[in-house]
Amino acid sequence: MKLGIARRAAVLGTLALGARPAEAGTPRVAVTDWGLTETVLALGTTPVAAAELQGYAEWVREPEMPPGVADLGLRSEPNLELLHRTSPELVLATPQFAPFLPRLERVAPVATFATYTPDGNPLARSYDIIREIGRLLGREAAARTLLDRAGAAWTERAGQLSPLGARPLLVASFVDARHLRAYGGNSLFGATLSRLGVSNAWTAPTNFWGFATIPIERLAAVPDASFRIIQPLPPAARTSLQHNRLWQSLPAVRAGRVIMMPPCWAFGGLPSAMRFARLLSHG
Amino acid sequence: MGEAVALNPSALRLSRPALLLGALLLPAALLCASRLAETLPVALWWAALLEQEGEGMAGAVFRHALLPRAAMALLCGAALALSGAILQQVLRNPIASPLTLGISSGAQLALGAAMLWAPSLIALSREAVALAGGAIALLLVAALSWRRGLAPAAVVLAGLVVSLTASALASALVLMNGEYLTSLLIWGAGSLAQAGWDPALALLPRLALAGAAAALLRRPLVLLGLDDASAKSLGLSLGLSRAVALGVAVWLAAAVVAEVGVIGFVGLGAPALARLTGVRGMGRMMAWSAAFGAALLWLADGFVQLAQGVRGDLLPTGAATAVLGAPILLWLIPRLGAGRPASNPAMGTALLRPWLLVVLLAAISPALIWLGLALGRGIQGWWLAAGAEWMELLPWRGPRLAAAMAAGAMLAASGTLLQRMTGNPMAGPEVLGLGAGAGFGLTLLLILVPAPGKVAQLLATGGGAALALAVLLLVARRGGLAPGRLVLAGVSLAAFFHALVAGFQATGDPRAVPLLGWITGSTSRLGPDDAQLACLLAVVLLPPLFFAGRLLALLPLGDGVASGLGLRPGAARLGLVIPAALLAGAATLIVGPLSFVGLMAPHLARMLGLRAPLAQLAGAILLGALVMGSADVLGRGLAFPFQLPAGLVAALIGGPYLMVLLARRDGGA
Repeated sequence: MKLGIARRAAVLGTLALGARPAEAGTPRVAVTDWGLTETVLALGTTPVAAAELQGYAEWVREPEMPPGVADLGLRSEPNLELLHRTSPELVLATPQFAPFLPRLERVAPVATFATYTPDGNPLARSYDIIREIGRLLGREAAARTLLDRAGAAWTERAGQLSPLGARPLLVASFVDARHLRAYGGNSLFGATLSRLGVSNAWTAPTNFWGFATIPIERLAAVPDASFRIIQPLPPAARTSLQHNRLWQSLPAVRAGRVIMMPPCWAFGGLPSAMRFARLLSHG
Repeated sequence: MGEAVALNPSALRLSRPALLLGALLLPAALLCASRLAETLPVALWWAALLEQEGEGMAGAVFRHALLPRAAMALLCGAALALSGAILQQVLRNPIASPLTLGISSGAQLALGAAMLWAPSLIALSREAVALAGGAIALLLVAALSWRRGLAPAAVVLAGLVVSLTASALASALVLMNGEYLTSLLIWGAGSLAQAGWDPALALLPRLALAGAAAALLRRPLVLLGLDDASAKSLGLSLGLSRAVALGVAVWLAAAVVAEVGVIGFVGLGAPALARLTGVRGMGRMMAWSAAFGAALLWLADGFVQLAQGVRGDLLPTGAATAVLGAPILLWLIPRLGAGRPASNPAMGTALLRPWLLVVLLAAISPALIWLGLALGRGIQGWWLAAGAEWMELLPWRGPRLAAAMAAGAMLAASGTLLQRMTGNPMAGPEVLGLGAGAGFGLTLLLILVPAPGKVAQLLATGGGAALALAVLLLVARRGGLAPGRLVLAGVSLAAFFHALVAGFQATGDPRAVPLLGWITGSTSRLGPDDAQLACLLAVVLLPPLFFAGRLLALLPLGDGVASGLGLRPGAARLGLVIPAALLAGAATLIVGPLSFVGLMAPHLARMLGLRAPLAQLAGAILLGALVMGSADVLGRGLAFPFQLPAGLVAALIGGPYLMVLLARRDGGA
């Protein structure tokens, strides 16, 4: 039983949501994952619906979400009824949504993209994903421009970062006052570091997503590294790090080789990788 | 010590306490020493201890991470065990502990809520926040069991209800704040990793103070272990002593939660070990409990560090204590005193024509289902869909509602079977560990098989639930399924399976991602296939139960009566075990292990006056379906556009409802 857009908008209670005219040739697209959301936005397309908009603004930061996008609620449990009523023509998802796939496919055709694969490089995958999404959205030109900009950015940033020399970088974020996530070579940050020619201090095993959850003491294993800590710091860590004897004993901390970086999404795509590279070279 | 904590003579065959303590401490010390030596050569230990800025980073790890970690394990273990020993004595209840009484969950919920909404409170004092949460939980438990004279079974039932409700609320918080998820997961699983001496130095004086208070309270505590009349005649102000002793116990548990998170089992297991080794007398009991608690946690943490290795991913100690401790506890349970026989649950008034009510319930169900499908929430608030809209929304709302209702019905039936089979008002698939067992089965399947189909998942959850139930019945057999013992076994089992699942989740393995949705009881992923399967299972599994009316009527009367009337209780029980496990497994696959429906629906039916076995079964099935259905409808709209999982909402509806039920004069166990 199909209803017209106008009727659906009336059901929804607002016209702004359901009936935003699409750009010429670009399908109305809904996105369930932040990494894919930033990619769509970076291609110059505004999705009709995306998940956890407030969290996106806090953790992913850019590209900024334009107003008028419907909030689908939790990424882990998107509101399917609402998704249906924004009448997308295409839904972008990751393999983590597999349990939802039959339901999503009832709404609209679903394209699934995996940035993380068992032995893949997330940065290389994000290149493929940009191209594929560009093709699906009819934004091939924008995709090419973005990839060219990325290529130029790597060269420029690598030049800016060369004064770091041989010292390896440890990229981590605090989970609470006593534990961190350290990002290894198969994480988006790790892949970006190696693209920039900077050596990654974290070589110990990591999980599928490329990070390891570790207590602070494990940082003793990387005495030569400089630290880049991704914010936000959890409140507990914010107040306790100055008094934390172990943290204060770490060579990097004693030598002042710790830089706190603004938030940057660890599980994003090419836009997050480029943001990471930019923030890295500013610090 | 009261009769409730009396000891089986057979237990005395075990070794004396000092011997057992030595047997725990020796391997713990060896593990700790080898870990220390791995970091810093033994020759440098003394220097690292003395020098302020000594042996570089290895010295710093030695001094600021490893040593405080060992100290923390000892202190937390002692604090939790002392807390458990005091609680058990004051409440005359051998299964009281910070975890079973909801104190730890309450403290954790308070910390989680404060972290999100009042971070300044956390900055001010984590301990005060945790203490408030733990105290509120205990007060709630006391209030709920007050009219039952704080009888052990009533207290534990109230504790379970409060604890499960607090955990459900904490899960909702976690769900709504995904990016803080990891920190709450680590914290809920209790990591003992340290980065300085501050936490240990904060806990030490607290433990010393509490120990001194406990020593002063020794005499009143002994008297509190007697019944109220004798205690009063000895001139004791019961209320005050009880309040002070409980205050000390809550404070100890809350301080541990505030510093390292939730660590299970120690508070329950250490006093049980002390009792088992023949420790008598209140002062000795508390001292030995604390010593056993310290040794147990130190040993458990030693194993955790060994398993973690130098390069491995994080293994939380709290989860590991549950994995190590639960089997010990299961082994201990048959050796503990049986506890007081629970009074036969007499709730509500029997209806003269119970089936009229059942028919009435069945008759209004279609109208409620229509309403559930019509009710929803959009940008502008709640509204009722009608006509074409109703039809348009049906494919979205119908399948999940149908699946949820079928699951609710099956859980209710499983709960009714379990309560009848064990003669135990606290039985339920969630409480007895069947849900957790099903979760364990599902986890194993996800690890072993790449993309398991629906039938495989069903077999895995059903198998897990059956395994849990089989272990449970084996353990509880010796005691004739005494209520307290059975619930203790069930809770231990649930803790064991939960810890295994939580450990897998904490690894960050992508195969664990579907588990989160499942654990919270998400229904929005369910489509027509799932709904068909769920309804089919309900239709196949439920009707045969109505031929078991005689079993359901006779088994609660006890084995003696049952066999006198020509029933073979063992075989009869086995005949009910399989359907109870299958029903729980099937339902748990759909709505997760959290919901209370299996515990709640049979109580609800009885409260409404359905006391004859088959009428109760029918009523519980209908009520279970309606409660789970309402949970699904409410979950769609309560936090719009965010969707709350139905299992979680059912727990949030069911918890408070059961609390009201318990607080009523005629309610409770």
